[in-house]
Amino acid sequence: MNEPVACESIGAKTPPAWAAQDLADLYDEHSRAIYYLALRFLGDPQKAEDATHDVFLKAFRRLDQFRGEASVRTWLYRIAINHCQNLCQSWNHRHVQANSDDAIWETTPAKTDSPLRVLETKELGQHIQKSLDALSDEYRLLLLLVADEELSYDEIAALVGQSADAVRGKLHRARKAFAAHFEKTL
Amino acid sequence: MKQQTKLSQKQEHIEEQQTQTNLTKEFASAEELLRFDAAQTAVPPEIAQRLQKNSTDIHPPQLRSWWKNLFGG
Repeated sequence: MNEPVACESIGAKTPPAWAAQDLADLYDEHSRAIYYLALRFLGDPQKAEDATHDVFLKAFRRLDQFRGEASVRTWLYRIAINHCQNLCQSWNHRHVQANSDDAIWETTPAKTDSPLRVLETKELGQHIQKSLDALSDEYRLLLLLVADEELSYDEIAALVGQSADAVRGKLHRARKAFAAHFEKTL
Repeated sequence: MKQQTKLSQKQEHIEEQQTQTNLTKEFASAEELLRFDAAQTAVPPEIAQRLQKNSTDIHPPQLRSWWKNLFGG
């Protein structure tokens, strides 16, 4: 979980007080989370690099709009999610019929309690990407957000504009669909 | 001779199984797997370099060397 103290201290700063060290700290602390979200959401390292650059540039330029009501991580995620979703809409690059596919996995016997076993981690990223690509944008995003231990269910719910209960229910189905697709890729 | 070959084949098989067991990783959930993947994913240094180039219009005197704080350059 994010420390509220850190948010308040950042939120309390007026724009002229932002120093180079603040931006370096911001980037240093959150760049991995934002890059990983972009990488696995967009499924392309070059696009993820561009997106991460654009997200941080937007954030640096809008620091005066950050009011400290949410954590910095949540604020950055909001910018990143909007950015990635806009990119996806404009490219219209995904042709997978994810929703109908998910329906199939949702009716299969539950495997969420079984551990995911992998023999090698060498090509693990490719297996993960294939499995995520097979999910709907919504499920993919939920899994990526819940993987960040700094985010609470309430924060995830706020980010995706749903209730925490709805998020829990959808996550259950997303985990199941992911596990089924992941087994297929091995 | 034949028995020796069989024995060595059996030993090879056991060693192979042991190696596979050592390589096998178990993840309790999808998010645990994603956390592992995230921890292994490096952020390309080009992003910070590009940000440094493109962020010069944001409070120029303060931002001139923010990337140096990151890389100690």
